[in-house]
Amino acid sequence: MTYDVTILGAGPAGYVCAIRCAQLGLKTVVVERDRLGGVCLNVGCIPSKALIAAGSLLKKIRHAEVMGITAKQVDLDVGKLVAWKEGIVGKLTGGVGGLLKNHKVDTVMGEAKVTAPGKVVVAGKDGKKTTLDSKHIVVATGSTPIEIPGFAFDGKHVWSSTEALAPPAVPKRMLIIGGGYIGLELGLVYHNLGTEIRVVEFMDRVLPGMEAELSNEMGRSLKKRKIPVHLEARAKSFKQVKGGLEVTVEIGGKDTTFECDVILSTVGRRPNGAGLGLEALGVTIEKGFIRVDAQRRSSVPGIWAIGDCAGQPMLAHKGSHEGLVAAAAIAGDKGAAFDPAAIPAVIFTDPEIASVGLSAEEAKAAGFDPVEGKFPFAASGRAMSLNETEGWCKVVSDRATDKVLGVHMIGPEVTELIAEATLAIEAGLTTADIAATIHAHPTLPEAVMEAAEAVHGMAVHIFQKPTSKHPVGAK
Amino acid sequence: MATKEFKLPDIGEGIAEGEIVNWMVEVGQTVKEEDPFVEVMTDKATVTITVPYDGVIQELRAKAGDIVPVESVIAVIDTSGGGAAPAAASKPEAKQPAAAASAPPPAPQAKAPAASVPAAPPAHGNGNASRAPAAFVQASPGKVLAAPATRRRARELGIDLHAVPGTGPSGRVTNDDLKRFGTGSPSAAPAAAAKSAAAGRAFTPQAIASLGNETRTPFVGLRRKIAEAMTRSKYTATHFTYVDDIDVTELVALRKQAKALFADQGVNITYLPFIMKAAVAAMKQFPTMNASLDEVSNELVVKHYYNFGIATDTDNGLIVPVVRDVDRKSIPQLAFDIQELARKSREGKLMVDDLQGGTFTLTNAGNIGGLFATPVINFPEVSIMGVHKIKKTPVVNAAGQIVVGDVMYLSVSIDHRIVDGATGARWMNVVKDLLEQPQKLLLGSL
Repeated sequence: MTYDVTILGAGPAGYVCAIRCAQLGLKTVVVERDRLGGVCLNVGCIPSKALIAAGSLLKKIRHAEVMGITAKQVDLDVGKLVAWKEGIVGKLTGGVGGLLKNHKVDTVMGEAKVTAPGKVVVAGKDGKKTTLDSKHIVVATGSTPIEIPGFAFDGKHVWSSTEALAPPAVPKRMLIIGGGYIGLELGLVYHNLGTEIRVVEFMDRVLPGMEAELSNEMGRSLKKRKIPVHLEARAKSFKQVKGGLEVTVEIGGKDTTFECDVILSTVGRRPNGAGLGLEALGVTIEKGFIRVDAQRRSSVPGIWAIGDCAGQPMLAHKGSHEGLVAAAAIAGDKGAAFDPAAIPAVIFTDPEIASVGLSAEEAKAAGFDPVEGKFPFAASGRAMSLNETEGWCKVVSDRATDKVLGVHMIGPEVTELIAEATLAIEAGLTTADIAATIHAHPTLPEAVMEAAEAVHGMAVHIFQKPTSKHPVGAK
Repeated sequence: MATKEFKLPDIGEGIAEGEIVNWMVEVGQTVKEEDPFVEVMTDKATVTITVPYDGVIQELRAKAGDIVPVESVIAVIDTSGGGAAPAAASKPEAKQPAAAASAPPPAPQAKAPAASVPAAPPAHGNGNASRAPAAFVQASPGKVLAAPATRRRARELGIDLHAVPGTGPSGRVTNDDLKRFGTGSPSAAPAAAAKSAAAGRAFTPQAIASLGNETRTPFVGLRRKIAEAMTRSKYTATHFTYVDDIDVTELVALRKQAKALFADQGVNITYLPFIMKAAVAAMKQFPTMNASLDEVSNELVVKHYYNFGIATDTDNGLIVPVVRDVDRKSIPQLAFDIQELARKSREGKLMVDDLQGGTFTLTNAGNIGGLFATPVINFPEVSIMGVHKIKKTPVVNAAGQIVVGDVMYLSVSIDHRIVDGATGARWMNVVKDLLEQPQKLLLGSL
């Protein structure tokens, strides 16, 4: 069969690219080795959010006395919870299948090998081989959880995120290796479901990649809940002991042991660029990532790469956007390019975290003179009425031009609030623009507006002394 | 039978059309991709375009000498025959033929720093890969120059956003800024000149916030007329200025005699008539120096009459009365005319007729001071000459001795659309020669 485009991988980068290719009139086929929707839909973003929703609902019910609601007995049926989650996943992956079909995108299941530019051989589970010829190959093979020595994933004692999303039961004690966003998202789900969790992080703070104050705030939040966090600590090994597992952790040069029932290892993900036969064709791969240009072309004509395998950050929305760019470029669109001003990052911990653009430190390093404005959710009427006043919203702007450089938030629904901030950065808006935009009352986005005012010391609902000669909104 | 139409590709920023210089193929010829196809000349470069697809030339729709707009079909190729069918992407325009420029295509307007192009593999011309955009602006966070849709538009137009002056808040580049930048390109063909003149006035009006202690008067009348005329000239005529020093020692002596001879007739013989005569003589050798461009009919108008405007400073501002038929008048007659026009100017008695019909202008700043000026062309004339102060200056004479001479700078600003630098320089050499040996001026040419 001859196609215009063969896409390897039906995750959020691959299937989005496939649909857009079809919309642009290109004859397209997608190869998937496992399940349509990729990690995101099956064992990532979507199922984790379902469990997180259940965990936070359980927490809310248990802490509703303040509103006069007392639940006498709250039971959790893990089997039912997992089934509900599977239902959501099923609907979404089915939806992807339906969309591909309606767009007349062919789907071939199996492991793909690129044997020559324009030639892909797919080995099906049944051993059947299919050869696909096309003008373009788009590699969207995603990434895989990293295993650390001594903690091979076995699905029983050592879980990856995949196992954590389909637990047979809620474990009593869980040790989490890696205090990054996946570890904390899932760890806090289990915390809310009643598990005693313990976090072992190699770096000097949790969420090491995030803006420093967000990390610190999360660290404080964990401490407040008495969740033990070991920083600059390294998990070395584990063994089975009576009644559970014993994990040896090196902290400050000294070995300590902790007992638990299950280990969740979430130290990161590595790109799936290797093993497809691309190196042999001369495709440049750097640190596992396929090197691409602004239109997501690899170093070999006719081979493109998008999503996790094409570079950091490994985020579904970044991959989907790349999918759209590559599809347009393949269809001959000269204006298509991957050139975001900023890519938002969201973490569905409890409380949520969201961040886009530069931190003050990064802004300084980039040659700006940054100014920060911060507004606490404790001063938000809406946050109070939700009984979720933890956290704040922080706007970083450029003193010279007032342009918004970054927005960093921790608190209720901030994963939703980040959209406004991202738009502001993409469009080159100033804090004055945000401040002069009417935000509905009473809503959480008012915090973004107040933080923008706070840059000039002009937030209305917290006490501040004006710091700017020119008040926000005036010239 | 499969045929493909070939459109004249976008050969350079701001190029709207090209002249077919030479077809390198003929109808019926079997051609292969990348063979030389056609030579196309634009106002800045002649490029050789290569054959886009294997096939047989079926039709050539333009003749050598034809001026064709970009994107119009100039050839039809039958691709059904021998050779692999072109593996172009579904859209025919997805693949652009490679254009090998014999001169670099004009760059976008400003000599801005090159757009930061990510380390990209080359665009591959194997018929599969689509052409890479001209430039990517890699926006790092916080350095956003424009909203995403504007950035996209800039890529499509091949414009480096860094080169575009942004009128939006904090210098943000708007779609309108891009549009203005695109049309204001100096590489645009003369036919587009009128448009670019309009573009010059299309800037968003700039308000000046009052800070107190200012005087505001309506900007009207002659001042406004001058502003409009100068703006039009500067945005239309592509000025260059050429300057030379003239040893007028002999002319000074001659003029002294002449002045004495005509003093009793009430005529003040100045240097200007001599310079005007030299300019006319030089124009007869280089006629395009006395020309105008008819932008409507797209014709170059060379004038065989010589009416010279004299830029005159009045209390209200600059006016330019015209001395007619400079070629047919004697030096004393010219001196008289200049004197009369000056009187009428002072007395406010100039008629409309006195201010019209100029073909060339002289502007004399010599009585005020300065070294030399770069005058603005009195549009639609093609050139303007700046006459400057005669100063006692050490000069090296023919015998190699340093002597005190009378030296004057002459500058000439010329519309490069019509006259090239070399022509302007040669024209000035003739003027210089005649003024340095004024006996030649009086004797006339053979």
